[in-house]
Amino acid sequence: MSDATRTRIGPLDVVAAVSVLFALGFALASPRIESQGEAARMLFVHVPTIWLAYLAFAVTFVASISYLVTRKLRWDHVAGASAEIGVVFTTAAIIGGMIWGKATWNVYWTWDARLTLTAIMLFVYIGYLALRRVIVDPEARARRSAILGIVGLVQLIPVHFSVTWWRTLHQTNTFRPRDIQMDGPILAALLVSVAAFTIVYAAMMRHRVRLEELELLAHTAAIAPAGPVAGDAVSAPNVGNSGTQP
Amino acid sequence: MSDRFWPQAFAIARRDLDRERRAGEVAWVTIPFGAIALLLVPLAVGINQDVLARIGTGMLFVVVMLFGVLTAVRRTSAETPEQRDAIALLGIDPAAEFVGRTMAGSLLLLVFQIVMAAVAVVLYGLDISGWAWMVVVMPLTALGLAELGTISSSIASSTNAGPALVPLLVTPLAIPLLLGATQTVEAIDRDGGNLAWPVLMTIVVLALAIVGVATARPLQETR
Repeated sequence: MSDATRTRIGPLDVVAAVSVLFALGFALASPRIESQGEAARMLFVHVPTIWLAYLAFAVTFVASISYLVTRKLRWDHVAGASAEIGVVFTTAAIIGGMIWGKATWNVYWTWDARLTLTAIMLFVYIGYLALRRVIVDPEARARRSAILGIVGLVQLIPVHFSVTWWRTLHQTNTFRPRDIQMDGPILAALLVSVAAFTIVYAAMMRHRVRLEELELLAHTAAIAPAGPVAGDAVSAPNVGNSGTQP
Repeated sequence: MSDRFWPQAFAIARRDLDRERRAGEVAWVTIPFGAIALLLVPLAVGINQDVLARIGTGMLFVVVMLFGVLTAVRRTSAETPEQRDAIALLGIDPAAEFVGRTMAGSLLLLVFQIVMAAVAVVLYGLDISGWAWMVVVMPLTALGLAELGTISSSIASSTNAGPALVPLLVTPLAIPLLLGATQTVEAIDRDGGNLAWPVLMTIVVLALAIVGVATARPLQETR
């Protein structure tokens, strides 16, 4: 591995690690929620993971539009990396939600609108990642996945509003600026946790985008001829008045 | 929009419908397959008429969603790269191509839905007294599914995994349409109707139309 391609731990990674420890401290020190017991501390993981899923897919949407406008592959790398991280955090949100659900509803899975639609949203982006894997050419992959990255956002609307549209077991949206029903210390711990997870997302994005760029370099090197090929010695004739016929 | 936009869109739609008329895949494959699925449901959940009447409308739209995808898959595999190149070289506006393919797809899906609805009414004994809303719901479902099918089949065309990939791309994205269709019917049963769900479907259909038209050119470039 050359020095240029070696993974380096940067300041952002250090900040991410420290902020996670900080958030963990806040979560453990926050007051106990009497109605749900210790299981309520899942709040400090579950809400940030689903927030990151939303953020990641929104970034995929914006980066997809940016790619189609500018045609710069860097935007495609951002979109792909963000979707991949979004899938990881959506899976984490579903698993975390199931564990929390077992503690509070006594079942891992219930046909609640928010749960079901979140699972379906996961499949939209699994489809997005599957599409990226089957197209080898970077330009073609970028254009096609950009379109899917834009269409995929349609799915976020019913997921977000599901708790409003249906009477669900799942609580309504946690962050409602004009109606925050949460004690100050718990809210502070939650905000610290959301901030810490967001920094983790940024650190993961930095590495994943870099990896996408390295993959592009590897692809370019793989399709480039290793040695001289027939015709190399032949160059286009220089006729001086190119484009005009005598 | 040029003067040639709509003539081109209608020409593309006519081509797709002619292809269907010759091959008859929706008429002879998709419709019978969907009818078999509706026939299988009572065998799986039991032949309690009350249960079937309650779940019938939902099952109808599930079958429409899952089997409607087959029309998009068929178009992915039916069109050769040479045919796609010919369309591009003829100078046909990519947006007109999207609109034309969507029009043909919606018409086929609407016919598919009407036949499936008739089968479901007969098999499950559905009460159709409040089905006036279906005049709105069915065309919106057909239009939305056709838009998704056209976008997804264009995205997945020329890839080895095309026919396998299209259902994975379309089915989860069709959920807002499925919810809109089933919840409209449920709202009729509950309180005589609710405009919110057809409005949601209309927003989704319009959003997909905008995306389809706006991204038609980059999609044509990659094919």
